[in-house]
Amino acid sequence: MAGDVVKAKFRRGHLVRVVAANLVRCLFRDSARSWGRNFGATAPALGSMTLLLLMAGLVGVTGFALHNLEQQQAEQASLLHVYLRDDASDPDVIALWDRLAADPRVARIAYTNKDKALARAQSVPGLPELANASESNPFPASLDVQVRNINDVGAIDALARQSSIVDPVVPTSYDRGAYQRIQAILFGLAVAGFAFVALLGFVAVTVTMNSIKAAIHSRRDEIAIMQLVGAPRWMVRGPFVVEGAITGGVAGLVAGGVTFGLALAGIAGGSGSFSQFAPGVTAAVAAVAAGVVLGAGLALGSGSSLLSMRRHMES
Amino acid sequence: MSHSYGSRQALADVDLGLHPGELTFLVGPSGAGKTTLLKLINREIRPTAGAVWVAGIAAHRLQPSNVAQLRRRVGVVFQDFKLLPRLTALENVAFALQAADLRVSGDEARERSVDALEAVGLGDRGSAFPTQLSGGQQQRVAIARAVVAQPSVLIADEPTGNLDQDTALEIMDLFEDIAAWGTAVLVATHNIEIVTRLQRRVVTLVDGRLVRDQPAGQTGRMAWLATS
Repeated sequence: MAGDVVKAKFRRGHLVRVVAANLVRCLFRDSARSWGRNFGATAPALGSMTLLLLMAGLVGVTGFALHNLEQQQAEQASLLHVYLRDDASDPDVIALWDRLAADPRVARIAYTNKDKALARAQSVPGLPELANASESNPFPASLDVQVRNINDVGAIDALARQSSIVDPVVPTSYDRGAYQRIQAILFGLAVAGFAFVALLGFVAVTVTMNSIKAAIHSRRDEIAIMQLVGAPRWMVRGPFVVEGAITGGVAGLVAGGVTFGLALAGIAGGSGSFSQFAPGVTAAVAAVAAGVVLGAGLALGSGSSLLSMRRHMES
Repeated sequence: MSHSYGSRQALADVDLGLHPGELTFLVGPSGAGKTTLLKLINREIRPTAGAVWVAGIAAHRLQPSNVAQLRRRVGVVFQDFKLLPRLTALENVAFALQAADLRVSGDEARERSVDALEAVGLGDRGSAFPTQLSGGQQQRVAIARAVVAQPSVLIADEPTGNLDQDTALEIMDLFEDIAAWGTAVLVATHNIEIVTRLQRRVVTLVDGRLVRDQPAGQTGRMAWLATS
C-alpha cells in the first residue's frame, strides 16, 4: 500500500458529537458566562422584571381567589333556605317538597330539621353564644332548595312563600339584591384586575424590552465583531436570547418564589379567615402560580431579547 | 463595480481583480473610496452597480442571511483591532474559527488558534485579555483571528494606523507571509513609507476612481502619492 493515499473513514458519530458540543457551548455555556460577565448591564432589566413578575404573580393569585369567591357566592346565593313553621306537619312539608321538586328550575332539595339547624348555627363564628342563650331551640327547620340558575331564585322564593307552612316572620333566606351587590363588587374588582394586569403586562414588556435593548446596545461592538468574523445569524442572536431567558428565568424564579412564599405564609398565618377571603388558594395553587410566573419570566426574557436582537440586526 | 451613498458616489466603475498569493496595497487620499471597496468585498454593503465575486461567491447577490458564508472566506483586519474585549486572545481566535465552522472541535480550535498566535509571535500571550496587550500585540491577535480559518482573501483597513513605524513594518511582514501562503491580501493604507519599501502591487483610488494599478516592483518612490 506504500504510496497510496488512504481516505480516512468518515466518523459521523464523532462529527455529530462535535457539532452538538459546539452548539451547547455556544448557546449555553458561553451565554451563561457572558451573562455573568455582563451582569452590570443586565441588572436593571433583571430588577424591573422581578418586580413586575412579582406583582403579576400576586395579582394572579388574588384574581384566582376572587374568581373562586364569586363562584362560592353564586353557589350560596342560589341556595334558598325555606324556613318552616314549628307546627308544620310532615305531610304538609312533603307536599311543599314535592311542589318545589316538580319545578324544573330546582336542582335538588334537602331537609334540615331543627336539631341540624341548631348544630349548623353553632358552627358559624359568633352564633354559638346566641344559640346557647335560649333554653329552647330558636332555629327553624328548613327546606334547602338548590336553584339551577341564580336568576330564578326570586321566582322560587315567591312560589315557596305561597305555602302556609312557611315561617311568616322570616319565610326564606332570599335577600333581593344581595347577590347582585356582591356580583357588582366582584365584577368591578375583576375589571379593575384585568385592566391592572393588562397595564402591568404592557409595562412589563415595554420596560423589559427597553432594558434588554439597552443591554444589547451596550454590546453593539461585540455584535458587529461577531458578524464581521463570519458568525451566522443564529450564532449572534442565540446567545443573547439565552441570556435573555436566563435574566427572565432568574427574575421569574425570584418573583415566583416570593409569590409562593407569601401565599404559603397567608395560608399558614391566616388559617380560617384566609380560606374565607381567598377560597381555593392552597399550596398547590401557589406552586402553580410560581410556575406560571417562572414560565412568564422565561418567555418574557427570551422573547424580548429575540425581538430586540432582530431589530438591532436589521438596523 | 460602483457604489453611492445617497447622491454621493463613493466608487465609480472600479474594475479590480486580486490574485492568490499576492499582497496588494490600496492607497489614496481620505474619502477616495478605500474603505467602501473593502466593505464591498466583505459584503457589509452592496454595490449600486456591477458585481463583486469573492472566492466564487457572488457577494453582490448575497442575501443578509447568507453573508456568513462569504465572511468565512474573507479575513478582516481593522485599524482599531476590534477584538472581543471579554475574551482572551486565544478565545478571540478560536471564536472566529468555530463561528466559521461548527464542525471544528474545541480541542482542534484551541490547537489551531495556538498555531495562529505562534505564527504572529504571540504563542505565549493566549490567555491575555485585549486590554492586557499593546496595540501591536492586539493587531497581531486580530491578524491571527483573520487567518486562522485559512480564508481565500484577507482585507485590512489601515491596519497600521494606530501603530508606530517599527511595529507597522512587523505587521506588514506578517501580511507578506500570509500572502506567501497563498492568500490574496489587500491592505488599505496611508503609510507611503511601507508601500515604497515593500514594492508590492499598488492600486490607487482617487475620488472613487481607480486611477493607477502598478504591479509589484514597479511602484518606484511614489512621490506623487504624497501629494495626491
